[in-house]
Amino acid sequence: MEIEITINGRKRRFDVEPNKLLLNLVRDELYLTGTKYGCGIGECGACTVHLDGEAVLACMVLAVDADGRSVTTIEGVADGDKLDPVQEAYIEEGAIQCGFCTPGFIMSTKALLKENSDPSEGEIREYLKGNYCRCTGYVNIIKAVQSAAKKMQG
Amino acid sequence: MSFPNMLYGRVLKSPHAHARIKAMDVSGAEAMGAVTLTPEEVPDVTYCPRLVSIPSATYKDWKVLTDKPHYVGEAIGAVAAESEEEAQKALEAIEVDYEVLGASFDALESMKPGAEPIHDEIYLEDDLLKVENNVGCQLEITEGDPKALEDADVVIERTYRTNRRYHNQLETKSVMVRPEADGGISVWSTTQTIHNTRLLLHDIYGIPMGKIRVYKVALGGSFGSSIHVNPVVNVAVGLALKSRRPVKLSYTREEDIRDHCAYQMIFKLKLGAYKNGKLAGGRLEAYLDIGAHQIQAYPLLGCVVGWWVSLYKLPYKDYVGKAVYTNKVPSCAFRGYGNPQISWVVETMMDELAGKIGVDPLDFRLNNYIGEGDIFWGQGPSVKSIIQSCGVEEILTRGAEMVDWYNRPNPEEQTGRYRRGWGVGRGYHTSSAGAPVPSSIVDFGGAMLKMNEDGTFDYVSALMDHGCGTQDAHIKIVAEELCVTADMVNIIRADTGTTVYDVCTHASRGVYSGGGAALKVAMKVKEKIRDFAGKILDAYPHAVRIRYDEEREQAVVFAEGIEGREVTYREIAETARHKNWGTAAAVESYRQPSCPPHFTGYFVEVEVDTWTGKVKLLRVVAGADIGTVINPMLAAGQVHGGFAQGWSMTVLEDLPYDPDDGDLVNRGSVANYKVPTTMDMLDLDDLTVFFADTYEPTGPFGAKGIGEGALNPVAGTVANAIQNALGVRFFQLPITPIRILEALREKEG
Repeated sequence: MEIEITINGRKRRFDVEPNKLLLNLVRDELYLTGTKYGCGIGECGACTVHLDGEAVLACMVLAVDADGRSVTTIEGVADGDKLDPVQEAYIEEGAIQCGFCTPGFIMSTKALLKENSDPSEGEIREYLKGNYCRCTGYVNIIKAVQSAAKKMQG
Repeated sequence: MSFPNMLYGRVLKSPHAHARIKAMDVSGAEAMGAVTLTPEEVPDVTYCPRLVSIPSATYKDWKVLTDKPHYVGEAIGAVAAESEEEAQKALEAIEVDYEVLGASFDALESMKPGAEPIHDEIYLEDDLLKVENNVGCQLEITEGDPKALEDADVVIERTYRTNRRYHNQLETKSVMVRPEADGGISVWSTTQTIHNTRLLLHDIYGIPMGKIRVYKVALGGSFGSSIHVNPVVNVAVGLALKSRRPVKLSYTREEDIRDHCAYQMIFKLKLGAYKNGKLAGGRLEAYLDIGAHQIQAYPLLGCVVGWWVSLYKLPYKDYVGKAVYTNKVPSCAFRGYGNPQISWVVETMMDELAGKIGVDPLDFRLNNYIGEGDIFWGQGPSVKSIIQSCGVEEILTRGAEMVDWYNRPNPEEQTGRYRRGWGVGRGYHTSSAGAPVPSSIVDFGGAMLKMNEDGTFDYVSALMDHGCGTQDAHIKIVAEELCVTADMVNIIRADTGTTVYDVCTHASRGVYSGGGAALKVAMKVKEKIRDFAGKILDAYPHAVRIRYDEEREQAVVFAEGIEGREVTYREIAETARHKNWGTAAAVESYRQPSCPPHFTGYFVEVEVDTWTGKVKLLRVVAGADIGTVINPMLAAGQVHGGFAQGWSMTVLEDLPYDPDDGDLVNRGSVANYKVPTTMDMLDLDDLTVFFADTYEPTGPFGAKGIGEGALNPVAGTVANAIQNALGVRFFQLPITPIRILEALREKEG
């Protein structure tokens, strides 16, 4: 199946099997390994990417379903060497321990702040409940989201 | 990771809990173009995948691929092919003829006469041992006069059973192996120890050590599940050596959950106390369900007794520990290495004993805890040192004040649907397995440090950082000693060929023991800098002083009070180069002389819904004594994460088996292995973390560990809070809604 996807702002064409997962396309063919495999069944959120600006689980999306659409991975978030405010906030608040869940969390956080620029703690917890972290107990992650929201409001 | 010409590996795993392979036909897989690997094609070496203990304390019962699998998921063969999909298809084309054997899934059942023997023979070092009653190893220790327990005013004896937990580290066990032209291999793997990985691969495959390069790579969580060399590593090496191509092998989540888990333990504990509020003594029987193989069962038997006797002063202590084989996934360390399990039991019984003798549980703890000047068993009976820093009293008294402890609810006065309770629990963990004398546990590390020609430094260490901030702490330690900023010390990516030995990142030793090596090497480099500066300044090396000059962004060495006698690090390094003095560099190994406990204490408030059995967290106050706090934000992060894992252990996690087919009841799906999400944890305002004001004299700049102590008291604390809410005690983990409802029905009808 021939498909065309805009990945991190660049148009790319692929010839894929219909059962190819977006996760595997992104990792194995584009070498964008910041998107992580954690469970493969939509439980952990480590593979979260944006599809036309909305957070989706790349292990739950077929590559062919991304045809003609725009995909943003964690590699497309920073502006060159300048980190995104959400990335900065995660570092500053110590929200990263092993870091494996971090790309998924950052993609979910960006989607949240796009929908709701000033979320309450309850709204943050609700939005991020599909992203799973085994290291942090979520404390510094919640703080990072609050801090990122403040940064983005200027 | 990927390499040109790379193959993808897949492991053929036993679908039976116990079987003998009568025949294996790989022709179908080979016809598809796959490279196959069978038990006959790997070295016939029986090994232990964890090399932290000395050989005379290391039991061995593993093979790279076995023809007699002992659990569902054990590796019996492997393939490598051009894609993961092709490899999977090839795997499915392998035909295996099994003779299915009897199996047991419970440690107590497994020890009974007539139970199917799981291993007939195993090795201790190089001696062949016969296994009897499926007991892999055992340990007995008695100290003191049994009369102490006999004379106790109150004695309680109970049986407890912990849950079987899966680490659920985000990154599944994975490896990349590249065969090299010189007959060697390069390895990138999920590991907590690159040097022990190299040691084991040398033992199994006989490749000279210098030709095995094991590289440090970022690790997506581990929590003890890669102290041992993960089975995928040994299999992938076999595939790469046979195919002469790079092989990548990553487990799926369903495979990973059948690869490792924490030790499930059954305890029979008897504790006695006097009416004066002092403990008299105790007797502990511990049955560790180790699963189908030994990873570190013998040292764990020692640690279980060590953790038990180091919580509270027991004039008499009597211990029997048995590590029992079952046909389940082999158990391994999981943050705390038996300490969360035994601490849950002891902290539960301490509350019960306090109630019986009419003392407040907090006061009972303050009356009996082991603290400064006492002997601490840091890693079983062979690793002991004297406690030199202790914040237990500060943690308990400050915490009690913060939560108004002495006015907590009385369970007998609560009758409504929602009932609230406060619990207290304390714990600790060792910081490293250091001690003044050698023991059965290896614990030393090392580091290299050199000054660059611009006055910055390169730091090289084999110690792995799992995301706990360990290397950040090392950098701060080095920078502090050398009077430079942290960003002037670079961490250099390293491997076994470019580093000196470090045993492993485990036992909360990263900051204390690894940081000790960092400090030692920094002190050596500083000496050389002083020598060079002394020559340049015409001053005595021991008399010069060092400060950081913010304007010049350089450390400056100066002769105090003498104008003009100063020189920057950059100038020193340049001069040393131009005059051919050499590089200010050092490489050092370091063994800590002590194993100081870092102490923790929790106060937790819960609300139990007596209609649904659900337990909700309301408030948590956590105190920790970790000596000097080197990374305040990251150290607090360890407490947050430790609490979440402990909470999960108490109320959520378990891995039951289906005795009909020997597989996990959840069939490997993490959708049926729930761990906390953002919604399950408490609001930021309801969590307080504080650090006691202590200084560990043997630690780098006074520091101790934190990783494991953050988790160890949690289950006991939460269980005590549930008791305070309901007036009911639980003797099995996890404390699920069903168990709560059953207990309430029994109590209240």
